[in-house]
Amino acid sequence: MATDLAPPATKPASPGDRPGRVPIRAALLRYRWLYLMLVPGLVYFALFKYLPMYGLTIAFQDFVPFLGYSGSPWVGFKHFEDLFTGPDFGRLLFNTLFLALLTAVFVFPAPIVVALLLNELRVAVLKRFVQSLIYIPHFLSWTIVFSLTYLLFAVDFGVVAGWIHGLTGGPRVDYMARPEWFRPLVILQLLWKTSGWGTIIYLAALAGVDRNLYEAARMDGAGRWRQFWHVTLPAIRPTIVVMAILTSGNLLDQSFEQIWLLTNSLNRSVADVFDTFVYYVGVQQGGYSYATAVGLFKGVAGVILIFGSNWLAKRLGQRGLF
Amino acid sequence: MSASRRRILAGVLTLTTALALSACSDVGGGTEADGDTLTMMVPLFGTAPDPQGEIHQAVEKLTGKKLSISWTPNAEYNEKVNVVLASDSIPDVMVIQDNKGPSFVQAAKAGAFWDLTDKLDKYPNLKPKSEQAWINSKTDGRNYGVYRVRPLLRSAVVLRKDWLDKLGLEPPKTTEDLYEIAKAFTERDPDGNGEKDTYGLILPKWPGTNFAASSPYNVIDVWFGTPNNVGMRDGKLVPEFDVPEFWEAQKYIKRFIDEGLVNPDWATLDTGRWNDPFVQGKGGIIIDVNVRAGELFDEFKELDRETYHEKVAMAGNLSLPDGRKFSYPFTGFNGIVAISKQRVRTEEQLDDVLRTLDRLAAKEGAILLNNGIEGRNFRVEDGYAVKINDQDPAVKVINNDVDFAFIQLGMTSSVGVAGDAYEWMRPSEAEKEWLEQRDELMNLDLQTAVHDPSLPVISQTAVERGATLNPIPTDARVKYLAGELTEEQFRAEIKRWYDSGGTQILAELQAGIAKIGG
Repeated sequence: MATDLAPPATKPASPGDRPGRVPIRAALLRYRWLYLMLVPGLVYFALFKYLPMYGLTIAFQDFVPFLGYSGSPWVGFKHFEDLFTGPDFGRLLFNTLFLALLTAVFVFPAPIVVALLLNELRVAVLKRFVQSLIYIPHFLSWTIVFSLTYLLFAVDFGVVAGWIHGLTGGPRVDYMARPEWFRPLVILQLLWKTSGWGTIIYLAALAGVDRNLYEAARMDGAGRWRQFWHVTLPAIRPTIVVMAILTSGNLLDQSFEQIWLLTNSLNRSVADVFDTFVYYVGVQQGGYSYATAVGLFKGVAGVILIFGSNWLAKRLGQRGLF
Repeated sequence: MSASRRRILAGVLTLTTALALSACSDVGGGTEADGDTLTMMVPLFGTAPDPQGEIHQAVEKLTGKKLSISWTPNAEYNEKVNVVLASDSIPDVMVIQDNKGPSFVQAAKAGAFWDLTDKLDKYPNLKPKSEQAWINSKTDGRNYGVYRVRPLLRSAVVLRKDWLDKLGLEPPKTTEDLYEIAKAFTERDPDGNGEKDTYGLILPKWPGTNFAASSPYNVIDVWFGTPNNVGMRDGKLVPEFDVPEFWEAQKYIKRFIDEGLVNPDWATLDTGRWNDPFVQGKGGIIIDVNVRAGELFDEFKELDRETYHEKVAMAGNLSLPDGRKFSYPFTGFNGIVAISKQRVRTEEQLDDVLRTLDRLAAKEGAILLNNGIEGRNFRVEDGYAVKINDQDPAVKVINNDVDFAFIQLGMTSSVGVAGDAYEWMRPSEAEKEWLEQRDELMNLDLQTAVHDPSLPVISQTAVERGATLNPIPTDARVKYLAGELTEEQFRAEIKRWYDSGGTQILAELQAGIAKIGG
């Protein structure tokens, strides 16, 4: 078997082939066991990722579940027209993009900063202890995060609300109901829940930095700051770029439960985002087609963002994702 | 490629194709019901009953059918129904909780369920007992199922009895009484701890964005004489929020909020925690359903078995100071039991299923679904059911199966309506009195009930644009009460509702009501 998997030592190059290139049939035959191992993965993606995409067709229908895919009438781009010309679109887009922007500015760099800080800790025991502690919030559900937020920020008994009230001396503020506090609360919750867990990948990248580089930098007279700037940061830059590209595809995804739990009549004007709208229209109101159209629009926007940021990364001289 | 390897590859390919094909074949064609087994989908409030359990077996024995019930947790029931309606595996019989919801309406209009409007007369126990509930449970003018009975009037005011007693106050009769009590609860230290740390009324954040949603706000609106959701005024259908009485009601509620007689977190308090301030002694009034009093009795009982019966008082709907009284009714039903046309195909099969349901709705079935098995988990005393052997693990299972699952199959007797089954005995005198008072108030307030005439009809515009339209008046009210909108701005929001489709909704509803002769 082992000899089967290894590429043969001599390449039977046919005339006209570039060196190192093998005709596809020959390659298929030669690496058949490797390709065979690929099959389960392909089947998985075909069955669970691509086949369900057939359902996207209902975005172009007036889908009635009982009539099914084949029986429901086709309506072309009606739902997209409704979406783009409807009274909700501007607000949804603005809220979604604004939250995405805040996430990109505040939440994305947070794990990098935490990882770099942890990396500077020299007491290994303390470092591991802190690391384990900051992973915990990741495992709590949004419902629990919301309950904690409520306990801390409730207008009459919230602990943090009480502190702020004591410090500023102003009237008690209902943070959960004020529209201007909605976004800060969302960002705070995200920071609390995700920054710790996000450090894992950066810490792994930091662990791979060659110690000799630091030694060499020290020999050249670099202080801690210079070492950080010229050794640490360049070492993890590829990781940051890849993470940035990957996250950009999800920028329009807000955590649905998080937003849903924080929404109320007083802050709905800033809280409605595509994800909650899709839930409301599709799952609660049964407007499957319209909701699918909204979801499809979001998906397309996500793909554009990924390709866009990948292109941008390459333009800036970084290695892209693909 | 050797022969053996070719075979392996062929095998893998066949397998892949087979998987892909089987995934495709889920679409299309359903199977017919067989005569001996009845498949059902029913909401569940606890853990799913074991099909080998005593109650399940007893129900099967009574109906003479094998029952295959998919118990679905209540919290996600409506969403699961939407998914099931979209799938191919519709059960023979399913409880539909939201029978006005778009997905059910679409399915019913497309012919997914039997229209039972003219079919129930020969089934003595399924025949509608309440004309009002029968009308209310219509979907676009037709009855696509047997309604599951609930009390027609459940609204009530629940108060801290010990606070009333301490301050020498009586339960309220009028809206002005309620204001005075709330004021006294806030300012006159009803818990006697020397601190001004209590408030009167407890208001929660009402879930969803529908304006008419049986919230405390809707109840107060109706007390002041507004239509219930919509109503006819001078030959024209008008919404609850566009009559002069509505503004009186808003000023009344706003007075509570402005003067600090309600909980400070009234815009955000989760309904799941509504009882907490009441039990913790922070607030003293809840406007909700009368069964909440029973819930509160039970919560106080867990805290202190000695004094719990002194903590809860209840009043019915309140009249206006000038003596006029309007009561807020409920719909008298909670969803319907619908029969799939896809599975139950012929009139004979339908008759068979209806006869099975009729047996469940008869006295013997009602007792089984609501109380359990007489002599096993309860006995009858003065016409009340009393739990027995309730420490026996097997009996505990029966009680759980009944209370959290099978009662949901009850059509003529169920939660809050004993019907032909037995009412459960309440241990303390205070609770017995409360039960009697509950029934008295219900019958009294029914005489002044303001019903919602739009319940049996559907507005297509409301279905299509509800996501955009519903939050407009609902959010505007809360913002107005919070002082973020002036009355003029609130009126402008209502105008926006009219202009973005509200006018059309009212026209469609009015036409629908005229058609069924309402």
